[in-house]
Amino acid sequence: MPRIVGIDVPNDKPSFIALRYIYGIGPKLAMDICRKAEFDPQTKAGDLTEDQLSKIATILEADFVIEGQLRRQTQQHIARLRDIKCYRGLRHRRGLPVRGQRTKTNARTRKGPRKTVAGKKSVKEMR
Amino acid sequence: MARSLKKGPYVDEKLFRKVQQQKQSGSREPIKTWARTCTVVPEFVGHTFSVHNGKIFNSVFVTEDMVGHKLGEFSPTRTFRSHTLARRK
Repeated sequence: MPRIVGIDVPNDKPSFIALRYIYGIGPKLAMDICRKAEFDPQTKAGDLTEDQLSKIATILEADFVIEGQLRRQTQQHIARLRDIKCYRGLRHRRGLPVRGQRTKTNARTRKGPRKTVAGKKSVKEMR
Repeated sequence: MARSLKKGPYVDEKLFRKVQQQKQSGSREPIKTWARTCTVVPEFVGHTFSVHNGKIFNSVFVTEDMVGHKLGEFSPTRTFRSHTLARRK
C-alpha cells in the first residue's frame, strides 16, 4: 500500500479513485493529477512506481490545498464570517442552515436530533 | 448569481458621497442609511453606519474584513426566537 503525503494510505483501487481518499481531492482533481504526473489513471495505486509517487507528492504540495491545511482554511473562513457579525456568521453561530433553506421542517443536518417540545401541535393533529 | 464585473460593485451614490464628506471633515459620526443593498467598499472602513432593518437602525462599525459584503448583512431583520433550553442534569 503506497503512502502519499503523510498519513494517506489508499488501497488497491485504480489510482484515480485511490487519490480521492485524500481530503480535498475529488473526481476532477484526481484526474488532473493523473494527467499532470503523466501516468494511466487506471493503474492500481499499489502498482505505482516510487518515481510516480514522488511526482504525485510534489504536485500535491505545490498546487493543492489538502488535508489539515484545507480544514484549517475552511475553519478560518467560517471564523471570519462569525467575527464580522454578518448574516451568514450569525447562522453559523446558531447552528442553523446558512444558505436560506427552510427551517420550519427539515434542516436536521444543521440542527441535530429533534428536540420535542411539549404542547406543540404535530402535522397530524392539525388536520 | 453574481453581478456582472463590467458594472462593478453596487454602491449607493448618496451614501458614498456622505462618506467622502466625512473623510474631509474628519468626523466619525454614524451615518443613517436605508441602503442595505449597498456593497461595503474599502473607503467605508473605519466609519460607522446606522443601517435600517425595517424597524430600527443598527449601528455597524465597518472593519477591513467586511469589505465585499452588503450593509444589510450586518443588520438582521428578524428576531431570533427559540425555546428556553431544557437543562440537563
